[in-house]
Amino acid sequence: EEWNVSVWGKRRAFTEHVEKLAELVSEKTGGEFTMNVSYGGLSKNTENLDGISIGAFEMAQFCAGYHEDKNPTITVLELPFLGVRNLEEEVAVSHMIYEHPAVQEDLARWNAKLLMTSPMPQYNLVGTGDPRETVESFDGMRVRATGGLGEAFKAVGGVPTSVPSNEAYNAMEANVVDTVAFAQHAHLSFRTIDQADWWTANLNPGTVNCPIVVNIDAYEGLSDEHREALDSSVDESIAYYLDNYQNNVLTQWDQILDEKGVTKVEFSDEELQKFRDATQGIADQWIEEKSAQGIPAQELYDMVKAKLAEMHGM
Amino acid sequence: MAGSSAVLEDGSALSRLDRALYRVEKVFGVISGLAVLMLMVLAVVSVAGRHFFNAPLPGYVDWIQIAMPLIAFLGISYAQRDGGHIRMDIVIGKLKGRALWVGEFITTFATFALIVLLIWGSWAHFGRSFDFGAPNWSRDSTIDIGLPIWPAKLLVPVAFGIMGIRLLLQLWGYVVAIGKGGDKPIGVPLMKSAAELAAEEAEHVSSLDR
Amino acid sequence: MSSIEIGLWVSGGLLVLVVLGMRVAFAAGAAGVVGLIWIFWEKKDYAWDELGWALGVAVKTAGQVPHSKIASQELSLIPVFILIGYMAYYAGLTNALFDAAKKWLGWLPGGMAVSTVFATAGFSAVSGASVATSAVFARIAIPEMLKIGYDKRFAAGVVAAGGTLASLIPPSAILVIYAIIVEQDVGKLLLAGFIPGVFSAVVYGGIIVGLALAMPRLGPPVGGFGWGERIKSLIPAFPIFFVVLIIISFIYNPFGDPLGTPTEGGALGAALIFVMALVKGMKWAELKDALLETAKLATMIFTIIWGVLIYVRFLGFANLPRAFSDWIQGLEQSPMMTLVLILLAYAVLGMFMDAIGMLLLTLPVVYPAVMALNGGDLVSAADSTFGMSGPMCAIWFGILVVKMAEFCLITPPIGLNCFVVAGVRPELSVQDVFRGVTPFFIADALTIAGLVAFPGIVLWLPSLA
Ligand code: NA
Ligand code: NA
Repeated sequence: EEWNVSVWGKRRAFTEHVEKLAELVSEKTGGEFTMNVSYGGLSKNTENLDGISIGAFEMAQFCAGYHEDKNPTITVLELPFLGVRNLEEEVAVSHMIYEHPAVQEDLARWNAKLLMTSPMPQYNLVGTGDPRETVESFDGMRVRATGGLGEAFKAVGGVPTSVPSNEAYNAMEANVVDTVAFAQHAHLSFRTIDQADWWTANLNPGTVNCPIVVNIDAYEGLSDEHREALDSSVDESIAYYLDNYQNNVLTQWDQILDEKGVTKVEFSDEELQKFRDATQGIADQWIEEKSAQGIPAQELYDMVKAKLAEMHGM
Repeated sequence: MAGSSAVLEDGSALSRLDRALYRVEKVFGVISGLAVLMLMVLAVVSVAGRHFFNAPLPGYVDWIQIAMPLIAFLGISYAQRDGGHIRMDIVIGKLKGRALWVGEFITTFATFALIVLLIWGSWAHFGRSFDFGAPNWSRDSTIDIGLPIWPAKLLVPVAFGIMGIRLLLQLWGYVVAIGKGGDKPIGVPLMKSAAELAAEEAEHVSSLDR
Repeated sequence: MSSIEIGLWVSGGLLVLVVLGMRVAFAAGAAGVVGLIWIFWEKKDYAWDELGWALGVAVKTAGQVPHSKIASQELSLIPVFILIGYMAYYAGLTNALFDAAKKWLGWLPGGMAVSTVFATAGFSAVSGASVATSAVFARIAIPEMLKIGYDKRFAAGVVAAGGTLASLIPPSAILVIYAIIVEQDVGKLLLAGFIPGVFSAVVYGGIIVGLALAMPRLGPPVGGFGWGERIKSLIPAFPIFFVVLIIISFIYNPFGDPLGTPTEGGALGAALIFVMALVKGMKWAELKDALLETAKLATMIFTIIWGVLIYVRFLGFANLPRAFSDWIQGLEQSPMMTLVLILLAYAVLGMFMDAIGMLLLTLPVVYPAVMALNGGDLVSAADSTFGMSGPMCAIWFGILVVKMAEFCLITPPIGLNCFVVAGVRPELSVQDVFRGVTPFFIADALTIAGLVAFPGIVLWLPSLA
């Protein structure tokens, strides 16, 4: 049994759990069940769900925000200011949402079953010029942020500006944008950090959600032994991912901030609350829109908030 | 030879259909060219908006995504009619009369088979992005401003459909040519003699030079 | 049968179809679809009742490719730069450039050919597509050379080779594509192409002078232009410098921050030339003509792109790229030797493949291998194998690969520039053009050797930015 797995880009922290999963599954089945992880050879990243639906490959990674209409339910995890504080929390809320029947039904339209998430840290801003420390200072700020995050900055007077991620560095250099919202590993690989004067350490405006899915027929066609090997490897793969991200990316990130003398901007609770209030409309609108499509939007949103409150011990 | 070739005409049903389809193809070609012009305008608006009005064009990248298929696919049949898609003609160029038309029939038929399969495949691709029950009938949207993608995806099987009709007409033309033999088939791209084409080209270039 | 064997068989089949005269785009697409059916059916051990399933999955997989690969911002540069080419023609810029080059350089042995090379180099500064540059100069330069008795194959070869300069000298669509695949700074890459492009033009010029001295029948010099005439000839060509200034200041502004992204700079340059053509009195009929020509050439290029990409998608499933990578990394020899071998492999692969298709197929595999050879993405110049930092190695390799890809535009059997020249000039067959372009293989080999031996030619300019 060999599965084709479609991911994209280069092997990086973002794909380490897939590599680990392939390794574990092969180990557990004595090399009988292997995975061939292809970086962009099998599909374009925005069309991995199509490939799963066709049956061209058995496993794939994608990000919900690439195509909201393909996966309306999981975009709840991309709403601004949910209050996720770290990768462990991101995993917990994601996997809880993946379990919900409405979400499973949504993805079943693509013949896809959600296996695990690829937790991304919050998309904090890297910026040039004087640090922006208040919500008022976001007024007129040109920010490279896509989808729901772009909406959030728009709500406080920011100007979301479309620039492809690989042009983000140039765009900052050319003052096309003042700030760029990325996860840390992307700030590193697209080198926006090299342009940075400051970084928002605790703004935590939101993130993208990038699940790993499997083709339902392929999953059900597995022998019990192989399916067991796959299912039982998920938690270990995620643990490996978290460990790797913490030790490699985040540690490196802190070092680089120090080396380059980048200012860590800490927002006061009061300012954060102002931002949250200003963007509440986005979540409300999401709930209204998705409810109209027959999705239990309010329930999904409340589940996320409740889970986070529970984890924060509130 | 790469491109230029001519298509002979007469009063037959085949030729009338050929010319009727050619008129449609030409309109599609111009639309495709206008879409290129639009790309340019889009960029200027985007730059000007940012530098002078602090208002960048929202969804600049999304609009490009929608415009590109217009450019890339609408003209495919127009190019096929005139024999514009490139090929090697080392072998086929040596053939004459019936042998040539049989050879052309075979590769054109293989192309027709490919296009029929791709109509199926690209229609399925469109189908996955289209949903009568959804807002804007959309099940796939662009990243920044959420434009529905299905119209752009629909363009592909439509353009391939016209290409399929064009290929059928050419196959018909080759069948007639195989029956009749000779070197004056109707409704298929011909390699004109070098002298004829050189004269035409010279006229074209001098009219451009003013 | 292993999937790699299937990959090799289908690739052989593709070659046969191309040689038989099937249009290249459709031959590649057909090979890709057949290959995909084969791969998926093999997965089901060739059970007859699974053939329908394999056909469906293969066709749907292939059916995604045309739309999904074409609907991208990067590729949007290509039609814009084809249009700029035709517009520059109506704005009188190509003729002005050619005229100026003729007056300044015509006195050299093979002078009209040398002039053509430098006029294409100048035009390259507003054109991002090699093929379009060759198409335009096939129109202007070849008739003039034939009129004064140049060998027609030689004239065609000069234009086909000269056109390749457009992809090194910024703006360049293919450098943008490289930057996107390997996720490197687009601006620095574009900047890095400038000096190698000029260097390449000088080598071409040298080869022409040498040939013309050895075989005067190839083409006579044209002389008798006074200094006044020469200076005057620069005036109509002047706007091109202005456009270059705009494009450059979007890529690298020596007086401060760049004004925008390279993509925007290109489109702005196009718009400026468009306005210039309008001022020169371009009519709707001419505009329509230019738009139709642009559409035809863009469609032709895009059709090849998606056709080849269906084939490339099949190669992805056949895992041929990985096999290639393993083979390269398993070689026991000096890294420089491996690099040279990689470049040679590109030359061979490029004989059969479209440049963009080739880069799309190979770079995801070859690029990390080369970076690893140098010591990794973030290595410092001091610790590296090739004596340059990671980001600089990415730029250097990019220019080398693009030069190789350009080389492939003039090599048989699928040399796009040669096809286009033959298409525009009906008195020339593809075989004529291929024969005429042969001396430039030597020029390109010399250029590439120069860029490998003296990386400073590539890296000096971007190191300033
Ligand atoms: Na250029
Ligand atoms: Na070639």
